[in-house]
Amino acid sequence: MPTLKSKDAYVGELEQLILLVVLRLGDDAYANPIREDLDRIARRRIARGALYTALERLEQKGCVRSVMGEPLPERGGRPRRYFTVTAAGLRALRESRQVLLGLWDGLEAKLEPR
Amino acid sequence: MTSHLKPPRAAERLLFFALAGSPYRHDILGDLHETFAALCSRRSPAFARWWYRVQALRLAARFILRARPARTKGQPMDRFLMDVRFAARSISKRPFLTAAVVATLALAIGANAAVFGVVDALLLHPFDMHDVDRIVMPVTTSPRFGEKRETVSPADFLDWQHAMQGGPIEHLAAINWWDANLVGRDEPERVLGFAVSPEFFAALDAHAAIGRTFLPEEAIPANAKRVVLSDGLWRRRFGGDAGIVGRTILIDAELWTVVGVMPPKFDFPMRAELWAPLAFDEKEARNRSSHYLTVIGRLRAGQRPSDAQTRMSTIVRQLALDYPAADGQLGAAVYSLGGGMSDVGVPRVLSLWQAAGVFVLLIACANIANLLLARAAEREREIAIRVALGSSRGRIVRGAILESAMLVGLALPAALAVASASLRVMHAFMPAGVVRFIPGWDRMGLSPSTVAATVVFAGIAAAAFGIVPAWHLAKGAVSEALKSDARAGVGPGRHRVRRALVVVEVALALPLLVAAVLSASTITTFITSWQGYDPDNVLTMRVVLPAATYADAGRRSRFALAAVGQLAAMPGAAGAAVGNILPAVDSNAVRSIEIAGRLEADRSKAPRVDYRTVSTQYFDVLRMPLVAGRAFAATDRAESEPVAIVSASMAHKFWPGASALDQRLRLVDGPWMRVVGVCGDVVHDWFDSRNVPTLYRPIAQAPGAALMFAVKTAAEPLTLAPAARAAIARIDPTQPTFDVMTLRQVVAQRTISLDYIASVMAAFAGLALVLAVLGLYAVMTYLVAQRAREIGVRMALGATEADVQRDTIGQAGRLTAIGLAIGLVLAVALGRAMEAGLLGLVSADFRVTAALAAALGLTAIAGSYLPARRAARIDPIVALRSE
Repeated sequence: MPTLKSKDAYVGELEQLILLVVLRLGDDAYANPIREDLDRIARRRIARGALYTALERLEQKGCVRSVMGEPLPERGGRPRRYFTVTAAGLRALRESRQVLLGLWDGLEAKLEPR
Repeated sequence: MTSHLKPPRAAERLLFFALAGSPYRHDILGDLHETFAALCSRRSPAFARWWYRVQALRLAARFILRARPARTKGQPMDRFLMDVRFAARSISKRPFLTAAVVATLALAIGANAAVFGVVDALLLHPFDMHDVDRIVMPVTTSPRFGEKRETVSPADFLDWQHAMQGGPIEHLAAINWWDANLVGRDEPERVLGFAVSPEFFAALDAHAAIGRTFLPEEAIPANAKRVVLSDGLWRRRFGGDAGIVGRTILIDAELWTVVGVMPPKFDFPMRAELWAPLAFDEKEARNRSSHYLTVIGRLRAGQRPSDAQTRMSTIVRQLALDYPAADGQLGAAVYSLGGGMSDVGVPRVLSLWQAAGVFVLLIACANIANLLLARAAEREREIAIRVALGSSRGRIVRGAILESAMLVGLALPAALAVASASLRVMHAFMPAGVVRFIPGWDRMGLSPSTVAATVVFAGIAAAAFGIVPAWHLAKGAVSEALKSDARAGVGPGRHRVRRALVVVEVALALPLLVAAVLSASTITTFITSWQGYDPDNVLTMRVVLPAATYADAGRRSRFALAAVGQLAAMPGAAGAAVGNILPAVDSNAVRSIEIAGRLEADRSKAPRVDYRTVSTQYFDVLRMPLVAGRAFAATDRAESEPVAIVSASMAHKFWPGASALDQRLRLVDGPWMRVVGVCGDVVHDWFDSRNVPTLYRPIAQAPGAALMFAVKTAAEPLTLAPAARAAIARIDPTQPTFDVMTLRQVVAQRTISLDYIASVMAAFAGLALVLAVLGLYAVMTYLVAQRAREIGVRMALGATEADVQRDTIGQAGRLTAIGLAIGLVLAVALGRAMEAGLLGLVSADFRVTAALAAALGLTAIAGSYLPARRAARIDPIVALRSE
């Protein structure tokens, strides 16, 4: 039975979703497309403020890292902040996947749609 | 390409400050900017801006309310932001309290802002003209006119103009009424015109849009058949014809040459549509006895109104020496344009309103201070703990003040909406015929200065209700609050403040109620009580005969009497009459008279009376009673003996103790007349005192050019209007009939200012009453809750429900009584002030004041009934256990 190791950060559900979207977006992962994909793929409409708060938390936990891009005229001369998932972030994702899979074990018959 | 479009600046600023604590400040701004740019091209810039504002508000609210204080420490700005967050959170935690405070404030501030909007439009900025501060209005004054401003005689004006050359006022110009009858393609129309000196336009710094204004040589009768049109008249009657200049038009049966058209907004004075040169013939240029000119001028650059006043005083002193008979007693005063043109009563009415508004605002503040005090009491422990943990007292006070400021900030937009809506309502109910005479009424609205004043009112409010709780927090005894339970922390001192606030509320509400009821009863009196004539079922209309075709008195007289005959013969008419002035119309005629055997050596001291020339049926149609003698008869013709009827007040004033009948009097320089009758008095002008001496003459003996007809009808008067117009047209088809309305409507237009005074005062009084009763209710509820333990103990010791109830109501009654005692003093003073200065008809009846005091007291005590019942239902066991 896999357990959470204390040195790994625990990530909540929203944080997991954000990490997964950041992974999917690859080199283009900044706040606007992250929010759009959360809505489109995960069907989660979250407030813009909530997204920034979550990203800030993930960065503090070391699950994501950010780099600044080039200043862009359509952003009023401000650069984009691109996020990438760190090794710790990947580990946290794997951990929670394991936890979920463990919990799913043996329940397929009850939960699979007939 | 839409990338050059920028998000709304204010919203971006707000976000920038709100995000001070976020590490992603610039990223968030950038992300929003990017989506904004995308929306600009995908949807529309307007949508994008709206979207940006919503996003900015939501994000700002989120970051201000939820940001973690841990991140912001040390820097003064950060600390301030933290205080802001704390205040915002404490406001949002109590939505009902916040809503109550914001709604109260919005009403009170909004009402004040609305009144200020009126003051601003009517008193401070009634005219929208270039350099309006430099336009001045010299008027004639005299001890004879009391405090009234009097118009100027032609000869005096010409002397002023001559003596002022090179003086502090340049372009001194005179203005005279000119009711012009315009005949043309359409049916004849009566146009509001003015005869003005050529300098008139220079005095106002106004220039023609097409053509020119008047030349100096056009101020003599031979050259005076020139007109300047208003933009509106030019478009309405002449289809905006660009070639109008140089053409002739038919006015008052004479040809006038159009020399210019004014730009669209120029309609001075009183929505004028037509201007002609004011020209005096030789006889008129020597006339010092008829005062009918309005004079304006322009202060020379660098000169002050006081310079103009000094020079004017010198000029009139010289004139008094040169012409002691006519000008011996005359002086001069220099008004600003706004001050000179507005009714003398307006500033008084407006100051009454503004005073009432401030009263309401103070009551509202007392209420809010009470609510916040209650809240401060609840938070005593929290605050005590914060102080104990090292928070400075200053910071806590700052927090309380910040909270007040935020509440005011929330109330401001709502207050502006209330003000704007009130102004729109006031504007909508004023008839256009009256608006003309109130300079500035059209400009009423949320002007920048009104908005600024609203902010000032709001600031006063924030200070007024914020200081009390803050002061209490500041001196709050920390250790006691911590030592004891929350309830014991509420010392007697705080109760004293809260009680004082209730006393203040009641004391302020009473004078407002009294003022409102006095105003309301005044207008009811005016409208329903006997005014000396019967205004029901009377149709009125006006005609002004042009001098060109009706120069001869005989023609004027024939027209007037023929018209009366036609009107009286209409089916449905029960009689018709004509006069130069009808009761309650917005103009008046005044003449100086001499009484046989009592000639004044100094003619400028000759007594002045209201002057009427009327047809035989006048008294009958208006149901004016004859007190003595006879009415005019058809035998009182131009060539028969000159006769007169005097009003009862005139008879009493000039022949006290004797009969006025067969006494002789004359207009200055007129023929001697014999008094044949005495009639009842008529209230002509509600603002003046009643019983103005009035002289009536038969119209056949003194026919004027301005005629007002009155037709007594069997049914609704307006149904006869078309027939009446046709009747006049049958006598002279080129003669327009105007102001066709019922006498009731005339009275209503005349008293509409009373209506406004009464309704605005009633609104304020209602607001004050509700706020005062709510305040008392809140305080009593709170005191009962605070005293639950004490009441519980008393009931456990044998006090009955009735005892407790009586005690609670008694407490409320004592507070109310103190408030009423103070309020009575204020109310009596206010009633006196209104009686003396404001409305001639108001009599400050002490019984009214006393009755209102009783009513207010009962209402207040009724407001304490619910809390009292709650006190009586306290279960001693529950109350004691909860401690």
